[in-house]
Amino acid sequence: MATLTAPSLPDLHEKPTESQLHRVLHSYFFQKSVKALFTAWVVITLTFFLIRLLPSNPVELFIQDLMVQYGMPYHEARDQAAALFSIDLSQPLPLQYLDYMIGLLHGDLGTSILSPGTPVSGVIKRFLPWTIFSVGIALMLSFTFGIMLGLFMAYHREGLMDHILTVLASILSSIPNYILGILLIIFLGVRWGIISVAATRGTLSPGVEPGFTIEFFKDALYHAALPILTYVLTTIGSWMLTMKSSTISVLEEDYVTVAKAKGLKESRITSTYVGRNASLPMFTLLTIAIGFVVGGSVLIETIFQYQGIGYILLQSVNKRDYTVMQGVFLVITLSVIVANFFADILYSWLDPRIKLGKQE
Amino acid sequence: MGSVFLGAVHSIGTTLRIMSYNKVGFAGFIAVMLILLMAFVGPFIVPLDTQTKVDQIYQPPSAEHWLGTDHQGRDIFSQIVNGGKDVIIVAVVAGALSTLIAVTFGTLAGFAGGQVDSLIISITDIVLTIPQLPLLLVLAALVKLNNIFYLGLILGALGWPSLLRAVRSQALSLKQRDFVEAARALDLGTMHIIFREIVPNMMTYIIISFALAMTGAIYAQVALVLFGLVPFSGSNWGVMLSLAWVRGAIYFKDSIWYIMMPVAAIVILQLSIVTMTRSLELVFNPRLRSGE
Amino acid sequence: MPNNNVMSTENQHVILEHEAGSGTPLTLHNVSIVYKTRKGDVQAVRNVSLDLRAGESIALIGESGSGKTTLGLSIVRLLVKSAEVTEGEIIYRRNGKEVNVLALNKNELREFRWKECSMVFQSALNAFNPVIRIWDQMRDTAQSHGWKDKKAIRQRSLELLRFVQLDAERVIDSYPHELSGGMRQRVLIALSLLLDPQVLILDEPTTALDILTQRTIIDLLRKLKEEQHFTMIFISHDLAIAAELADRIATMYAGRIVELGSEDDIFYRPRHPYTLGLIRAVPKVVGDFQELFSIPGSPPDLINLPRGCKFHPRCPYATDRCREEEPDLVEVGPEHFAACWHWKEVAKELDTKPLHITS
Repeated sequence: MATLTAPSLPDLHEKPTESQLHRVLHSYFFQKSVKALFTAWVVITLTFFLIRLLPSNPVELFIQDLMVQYGMPYHEARDQAAALFSIDLSQPLPLQYLDYMIGLLHGDLGTSILSPGTPVSGVIKRFLPWTIFSVGIALMLSFTFGIMLGLFMAYHREGLMDHILTVLASILSSIPNYILGILLIIFLGVRWGIISVAATRGTLSPGVEPGFTIEFFKDALYHAALPILTYVLTTIGSWMLTMKSSTISVLEEDYVTVAKAKGLKESRITSTYVGRNASLPMFTLLTIAIGFVVGGSVLIETIFQYQGIGYILLQSVNKRDYTVMQGVFLVITLSVIVANFFADILYSWLDPRIKLGKQE
Repeated sequence: MGSVFLGAVHSIGTTLRIMSYNKVGFAGFIAVMLILLMAFVGPFIVPLDTQTKVDQIYQPPSAEHWLGTDHQGRDIFSQIVNGGKDVIIVAVVAGALSTLIAVTFGTLAGFAGGQVDSLIISITDIVLTIPQLPLLLVLAALVKLNNIFYLGLILGALGWPSLLRAVRSQALSLKQRDFVEAARALDLGTMHIIFREIVPNMMTYIIISFALAMTGAIYAQVALVLFGLVPFSGSNWGVMLSLAWVRGAIYFKDSIWYIMMPVAAIVILQLSIVTMTRSLELVFNPRLRSGE
Repeated sequence: MPNNNVMSTENQHVILEHEAGSGTPLTLHNVSIVYKTRKGDVQAVRNVSLDLRAGESIALIGESGSGKTTLGLSIVRLLVKSAEVTEGEIIYRRNGKEVNVLALNKNELREFRWKECSMVFQSALNAFNPVIRIWDQMRDTAQSHGWKDKKAIRQRSLELLRFVQLDAERVIDSYPHELSGGMRQRVLIALSLLLDPQVLILDEPTTALDILTQRTIIDLLRKLKEEQHFTMIFISHDLAIAAELADRIATMYAGRIVELGSEDDIFYRPRHPYTLGLIRAVPKVVGDFQELFSIPGSPPDLINLPRGCKFHPRCPYATDRCREEEPDLVEVGPEHFAACWHWKEVAKELDTKPLHITS
């Protein structure tokens, strides 16, 4: 090769060397972690004050109950309450708060009012996994199929399938999830007899032991099938429609045209050039969806008698088991915070533009 | 006086015509109007049937009872007609409050930027993360919620975060736009810029936010009533569902009308609101209009 | 016309040496393209015929709407769905075999693209997939065309990146957003050479760049032309790039070539009033301040084209004949063609008032 005559340009984009600390502090991961922890702290504090400061807060209500029902004097009632709620009511509020926080870090959420001797944390340990199981599977299915269908709809825009699917998606999104659950029972169970509603109640059939056996998983899935179906049907619509519009805008991007010009295989273009870029905005939807589905589990699990943490929350509200109610609410909210955190991190792995530097 | 009236009629006419360009959206709009009519004017025409007729339990639709009867032999149709009012009022109150909060603070955050923005966004994120239904459940256990306005306000106070984010991102993108730069260059003042330049461009978002807030409020209130968490009397659609649920009506073949009617009413209302927004979009965003 | 895969996948050499071909790699014959819109058919390209000889570079010069980009895109069949090639053929030749690009099936077209003919787009700012690295985008191009040897691909990619004066090792593992606009444009050029195509199409390769980067790119392209003997088509509205890089220049107006000739012919002996106008419109950089010249009027409506010569509304030489009959390209000199009834008058005027172009 002949030597060049043109001067080469200085590399104008060399970043100035930043200190390690600076980079860590401004990294996406760090900021998201701080956000998660801070939100968790706010929620915990809020719950505490909710429970203690509302005019009709559970502790006072419980004390009233005891006094009315058993004719207990105030002191005794208060002591019982203190024991069950794991708080010392004689102390000033800020110290109670501190005790509460410390207790939390030890996993102490108090004791169930109605089942004396059962720690709330035990209740949670028993029922939380089922909810995570059903909600987790549902979200994965809904997300995956929603994205694939959305992609399909964008590629076959204005076609018959696109119109049908759009209508379907709109209708599904308009049905409240608990109503859909009821409809499933009515039509699949009662009217058409496809599924025996009685048999699918509960999280496991009697006699099946939890463990890493196929039998266990099959049974667990059988019982979780209806709730999962409900979650999937009610969330897939918005995934589909959002993915479709996201894909449509990605298809108009320059790099897709260049990809075609490069003679890339169609499958490569669809998966890596269109698919990956179009699904990025879906991850922000994911965080909202997680909150929505976990929140909805309260109702769905009740409808299907699926004993997960949502079911327990409603039960405890109805039975006025305040300690359990408080603990479960906290755990549900914290689960959402954790799940959102993981969704954020996952997003940063998929979008290299987020890697370094401050986020938005 | 007459000319003002004519002018108003003319502009309503124009608005309707523009809305009709999107057929689906217009159908939604008509449906919403009909439902509103039925819910607020209907009760005067079709009074609530409160008579218990034991021999007419769970009858299918007939000439006498257009939609059949419930578990006490009462006419379902009258219940549907009378049952929409509460639901809609709560939805409107909640929607209005949510939209007000979302638009005010969302625009402020997007337009002002900097620390104001950071603060608003942090608060929004935290409220957004707390799952709405469990919180409502807990609140329902602790506070009496039988006043529809009160319920509407609480729902409104919880439903704004996702709306605010949408409004804020719209405000952010508008901020960069040329006409805002032009207004700045002409030194037109911040208030003017916000209210005469930015907000009109956001009307679409405001309308859509309001519609979404309403659908969210409908979702939440029916859930609360359905599971007996809110001591409602009367016979709004949520109460109908609740009674059906409690009485195990879903397990009987005959009682299907009793369940399906309020379900249909609720779903149709939700669908209509959502599709109506597409027509409304055309009114406020002329660029979306294509065919004549 | 052979319908099996004409383009054999020769294994790529590691050295950057392009075999100087012979013959005429590309011939456009009577190509017409319309865009179908609700308001009517936009006649973007009308009866264009052109021969591109091996190792030469042709510049297609014209305003926006002249059809130059549409023509360029049609060679690799990257037009939007609403566009339709209503007539004509695009013949591509290599090693004695030839195909009509417009008749290739999907798979053949895919093979043809980039390997036989690559295209450098106008703005590389968004030309790369933002979520994968540059290396992946080079590798998948090669692999889609049957080249499997990863090490060799990487070697070649690094070489090409060095050729376009980038820090190859660093760039190849970067993500697109980590590179500046100028850097991305250079990567795109390197990428376009990856499969050693016979023909390169460059659509406004320097328009979106700052002046310094423009200079580098132009020098790069000149190197490609002079040392590697690539066959190139430059599409531009900028005469300067034509002056630097083109052997022949075709000026386009309203979808047709109105003048075709060597660089010298066009710049020193233009015969079409439009070409003349374009050249005159370039102001002198040195010397006294002068009145700026511009061609009056604006380009025609491509849906409802006027009768006769499409340039006549803006032409100082227009007569009745121009308003009725559209002129075809006629020979006005050796290998020099112009589509004007009055080219002789243009010639005469230039004899008396020579152009002010400094060499």
